[in-house]
Amino acid sequence: MKENAIDVKDLKIRYRSLNKMSIKKSLFKLKKSQTDVFEAVRGVSFEVKKGEIVGITGKNGSGKSTMLRAMAGIFAPDEGTIDLHGNTVSLLSIGVGFQKKLTGRENIYLSGMLLGFSEDKINHHMKDIIEFSELGDFIDKPVKTYSSGMYSKLAFSITAFLETDIILIDEVLSVGDAKFKKKSYKKMKELITNEERTVMIVSHSMDTLSKLCDRIIWLHDGEIRMDGAKDVVLPAYEEFMS
Amino acid sequence: MEKFITDIKKFYKYAIYSAKAELKSEIANSHLSWLWWILDPFLFMLVYAFIAGIVFKSSEKYFLAFVFIGVSCWDFYNKTVKQSVKLVSSNKQIVSKVYLPKFILIFVKMGNNGFKMLISFSLVVGMMILYRVPLNLTMLYFFPIMLSLVLFTFGSSVILLHFGVFVEDLANVVNVLLRLVFYLTGIFYSIEKRVPAPYNEFLLKLNPMALILTDLRRCMLYGELPHFTLLAVWSLASVIVSIIGVRIIYKYENSYAKVI
Repeated sequence: MKENAIDVKDLKIRYRSLNKMSIKKSLFKLKKSQTDVFEAVRGVSFEVKKGEIVGITGKNGSGKSTMLRAMAGIFAPDEGTIDLHGNTVSLLSIGVGFQKKLTGRENIYLSGMLLGFSEDKINHHMKDIIEFSELGDFIDKPVKTYSSGMYSKLAFSITAFLETDIILIDEVLSVGDAKFKKKSYKKMKELITNEERTVMIVSHSMDTLSKLCDRIIWLHDGEIRMDGAKDVVLPAYEEFMS
Repeated sequence: MEKFITDIKKFYKYAIYSAKAELKSEIANSHLSWLWWILDPFLFMLVYAFIAGIVFKSSEKYFLAFVFIGVSCWDFYNKTVKQSVKLVSSNKQIVSKVYLPKFILIFVKMGNNGFKMLISFSLVVGMMILYRVPLNLTMLYFFPIMLSLVLFTFGSSVILLHFGVFVEDLANVVNVLLRLVFYLTGIFYSIEKRVPAPYNEFLLKLNPMALILTDLRRCMLYGELPHFTLLAVWSLASVIVSIIGVRIIYKYENSYAKVI
């Protein structure tokens, strides 16, 4: 039996009336405004073993991205706990804080440091990242001159090479042209097959999920509708969606 | 508190690099590039010197250096605080994608503005040489006074950073307040000499910016001693406010991403 890498218990995340308020509004409405609570994730519990690859699917607004962000430490859960057992975690999504006026190379440093890596480690991977991103000379040009495809290719390459114990992926596999897509699949596969690495992928693409994952969690309106092997869950989901 | 220190250890490199990168990107597309770091305070100083010296006929000894010290410090404080109010929403890109202790963003801004302040202080030194200001040991008090400026700026910024997330029009209020404080700080006049008797004492005691500026000028230009007790009291107060602010940020920072 392998140890657990992620334990999520009774996770609930609400978007409350944490809405922005203006001073005028709060002056004129002294009595408490109606609390408008929207529960995006309603009591989700699951465990993920070390080295497992789990896909998360569900229709739009079912709380997938919210849950992923909570696991990355960006949101605080309102109830329940997320235990990562001390593993490092990164959320792979497009364009982590790129500064548009800076060059690609400088942005690699910035993003890397933001993810908590040392300068040495970034230098160590720099060549691979640049090569993989296929940017060529553009790496020393400001990011604002990039096309949207180049932008996301760079973002993908950064997170793909600066590896953490747990990787959370939010629908970024469909990046770039056909050739790059193939390449990123391959790279993903390579990352994923590492026994030590735990991966969670959010995607709508049946293709991606069935190719990469072993286990699928189907979220529906913030609750787990099904959780199991991909041969069981995916057909059921496909039937539900059609 | 422990968390604060480990977080700083983990992210200070990012803060430094990001401040550098910001500086670079600010000048990346301008023709005069880094010259703006010098031109900007210099031109503003000319404006103030014109208004104060010619229109209002106020004259202090070493007048240009006197104004320049004021402008440099004020710019640092003013810019950092103004940017802090909107800091989380202007960094939405980062805040909604990775976890980062939010006060690190203040460090980035303080590094950025602090660098500019250092450049304008080097201009001050140049002017002091031109004026042949006599060297004096009191000039060494520059460093502790700067420390209290940094502490006070950080203290104000953490608090405003937190409330700026939830209160959308806080930026407008802060703008007005800063303008008021600007005139009460004596950037281009001497509070000690120009404000009538009981009030100048009040101003120095209650407005830390006025205190810091006056003391900087006293020890850099006129060879006098700063107000030690007052400076210590305000520094201590800033530290306490900073601690409270950092606590608040730690407690609520994870809900910032839901609001912006």
